[in-house]
Amino acid sequence: MTSRESILNKLRAARQPFADLPPAGGMIPVVPAGDTSPAALRARFTEAAEKLGCTVTHCADPAAAIAHIRDLIGNDSTILSWDLVYVPLPGLGEALADAGIAIAAPGDASVRVGLTGVDAALAATGSLLLASGPGKPRGASLLPEVHIAVVAANQLVPDLETWLAAQRAAGLDSLRRLNNVVLISGPSRTADIAMETVMGVHGPGAVQIVLLGEG
Amino acid sequence: MDPRPSPAGKRVSLFVTCLIDMLYPQTGMSVVNIFDYLGLDVDFPMAQTCCGQPAFNGGYRRDARHVAYQFLKAFQDAEVIVTPSGSCAAMVRHEFPVLFADDPWRSEAERLASITWEFTEFLVDGLGLDDLKLALPHPQTFAFHDSCHGLRMMGVGEQARRLLGNVENATIVELEDHDECCGFGGLFAVKMADISGAMLEKKIGHILACPADTIVLGDVSCLMHINGGLARRDTPKRARHIADVLAEGLPEGVTYGR
Amino acid sequence: MDVKARDFVPAAQAALSDPALRAAVKRATDTAAKKRLVTMFWAGRAHGEALRQQAAQARRRALRDLPALLEQAEAAMTANGIQVLWAADGDEVRRLVLDIAARHDVRRAVKSKSMVSEEVALNHALQAHDIDVLETDLGEFIVQLSDETPSHIVTPVIHKSKETIRDLFVRELDMPPTDDAEAMTQFARGHLRRAFLEADMGISGGNFIIAETGALCLVTNEGNGRMVTALPRVHVALVGIEKVIATVEDYATLTQILPRSSTGQTMTVYTQMIHGPRGADDDGPEHVYVILVDNGRSDIYATGYAEALACIRCGACLNACPVYEATGGHAYGWVYSGPIGAVITPLLTGLENASPLPHASSLCGLCKEVCPVDIDLPRMLLDLRHDLDETGHTPPVWKGGMRGFGIVAGSPRLFELAERAAGLGGRFLPPRPPLPPPLNGWTNVRDLPAIPPKSFRQLWAERQKAKKTP
Repeated sequence: MTSRESILNKLRAARQPFADLPPAGGMIPVVPAGDTSPAALRARFTEAAEKLGCTVTHCADPAAAIAHIRDLIGNDSTILSWDLVYVPLPGLGEALADAGIAIAAPGDASVRVGLTGVDAALAATGSLLLASGPGKPRGASLLPEVHIAVVAANQLVPDLETWLAAQRAAGLDSLRRLNNVVLISGPSRTADIAMETVMGVHGPGAVQIVLLGEG
Repeated sequence: MDPRPSPAGKRVSLFVTCLIDMLYPQTGMSVVNIFDYLGLDVDFPMAQTCCGQPAFNGGYRRDARHVAYQFLKAFQDAEVIVTPSGSCAAMVRHEFPVLFADDPWRSEAERLASITWEFTEFLVDGLGLDDLKLALPHPQTFAFHDSCHGLRMMGVGEQARRLLGNVENATIVELEDHDECCGFGGLFAVKMADISGAMLEKKIGHILACPADTIVLGDVSCLMHINGGLARRDTPKRARHIADVLAEGLPEGVTYGR
Repeated sequence: MDVKARDFVPAAQAALSDPALRAAVKRATDTAAKKRLVTMFWAGRAHGEALRQQAAQARRRALRDLPALLEQAEAAMTANGIQVLWAADGDEVRRLVLDIAARHDVRRAVKSKSMVSEEVALNHALQAHDIDVLETDLGEFIVQLSDETPSHIVTPVIHKSKETIRDLFVRELDMPPTDDAEAMTQFARGHLRRAFLEADMGISGGNFIIAETGALCLVTNEGNGRMVTALPRVHVALVGIEKVIATVEDYATLTQILPRSSTGQTMTVYTQMIHGPRGADDDGPEHVYVILVDNGRSDIYATGYAEALACIRCGACLNACPVYEATGGHAYGWVYSGPIGAVITPLLTGLENASPLPHASSLCGLCKEVCPVDIDLPRMLLDLRHDLDETGHTPPVWKGGMRGFGIVAGSPRLFELAERAAGLGGRFLPPRPPLPPPLNGWTNVRDLPAIPPKSFRQLWAERQKAKKTP
């Protein structure tokens, strides 16, 4: 008998625990929903992300966003990046090329800055939701010290529960095809040394969120 | 409010507990005096001894059951049982059904469990009284320590505060970490004496730092342990049972064996 | 890991006389407990309690349906491209991991936190086969460097002062001396970064597996969890069979209540769902293995202690427990400490190997109050104490003493006699008499109460008599 069989047999032979549980009812979100208007979501996301130690910059238009990103990149000549088709900022590709900033190979660990878009941003917890896939290397949000995340206004959702409900509505198969989904809530941190919080351990120590305007 | 039928108008059978019976009889008398003052019909079934908690908590269920049987017999005519101990009340209410789960006495155990009240719970939730119109002879400052079984298994703590809050000349202040365990824990106090002692040290530290002269609580097991530790410190501070503090506020003439 | 839980009492005594350890543990647990209160209850006590019940129901539903959910999880993971293996015990876990390592020519492995791997002493097994294993969770890295064991489920080195860690890094890693926690962290980061990039295999634990999607879920803060599961070409996850949950909705609750209960965070920095290995034009591991580990869990499942399997390893009970605060985690002698450790160590390793642990509690009930899935730990400690008595673990002095107590307190007449004897003898009893063990446990710490000359029932009888006398 394989271990699989012996384990499952043992579990099945046991008297079923919690046999009298009531059926799963409606579940409440961990963070109460509150105002879900776009303006409220922007405000809550910004507050939550800043509380985590992210820097959130509201950019009214693409030009402002591009200028800000140029500033953050500074004098570096290479960055890690998602394929720019996944970064909702028209003109960014040209601006980077004009500045002589090249996109490094996905696994390049010597690069200081990583640039990504997001798949969603969660207002309740200030979290960025990034799914991996072709053109969306995990390394871009993981290896560099600085992670720049460009968030479009319509990518803000209230919370994880809402995002998962949308996945369910779309049929969970599309969720399952995402090999790696990560919620990023702030810069990496540890408190293992004498309970003192230190930011920037293995993952990025700075998360720069570029929040685009409505228009 | 307690969802059980009101105990008002019923005869009150006092379960005084083995520790009070043997070591703190005055606390039992304080309860009786308060009940006298309220005009309640009180009896004390003489066949009572102990609820069996010391043995039960140690895992010695056969011995615990042996003692608990005596409780069932002693209180078989009771209409309402009141006990000045959160942990003993919890034992009867929550553990008797466990102890007698496979026993012919099970329904009797469940009946007694359903009519058992902790002292402050009985006054406030049972009788709806939180102002007994009491006045201490002179001003005193108190702080509460919450006994764990009372607080977490019986949900009592608020009631005692309301009762004492309405007593004239009583000032209540906060004891830091008042809901943290004092370290008694039954046989734990002896089996794991060093850890029990460390927890007691912490509690005493808070007591010494607290402006109150007297720590009020609802379980003499905690009291025995805390006062045993305070006795080794250079301090006049002591813990007292809520019944004794309230009884001190009774008008003259309502005393026996003071 | 070897079980040393039988030595709890002397280990606890040693911990109690170590003021630096006690201060460090107190500081860590107080901080975490305070933060928990803030994020669990910022929307009000009722909301937080409702979340606890919601999480509790989710875990209990999963346990109720465990065999079916395991099969569903396996099918979903397999369809996603994850290779699912089953390990009945520690031997099998080690064998499976070594097989995978051999198959993929693994020489160097990096590891993020896995309590299961501690249970089965995986690192030693790999090193014995010339495979380098580096712990990358900063706390676990420090534990590994100092050749110790973790002392807390979440923060493994709360027992170590900053100075101790500094000295360790200076000695073992040639770190330039510094007392700055940030500088020390950055130094460790540099040291570990190379290891991430050069490792052949990443080994992780797993916080949950979502049965309906086949997602392996991890919550981490440092980024090492992402590195370990993204950079090496092989990723192996060790996950206890009890970690399966049914739905993505359950996941939303559990993955958010865990950090709130644990460190007071609303989300851990990196909350991951891993569905499979890399795609064709993707980055990430080429091979992902999930090893479903039993190692005693199915035994627990078949008992009245199944609720203990609901644990999501948040550490809230450790942070609340006054006994843990006094002794720290090492005294418990195995992987899991605090209240949950006191329950599952005997259940997973045998009562006889952990007999003091169920008694290492004053039953204050705070653990149950803070547990995000409402495990009735005090109830289980009581039941384990009963089990200990039933299986002959009660020393004769306690057996006799309790028998005596049962006889005396079971008879009103004997009880009254005992009271009278005590009332008489009490006059001669000093507050600190020399007592034999174990009774001297009382007087080592406290004075005895004075025994009054008259018991309550005597006073009552006198009162009744006085009322009848006109």
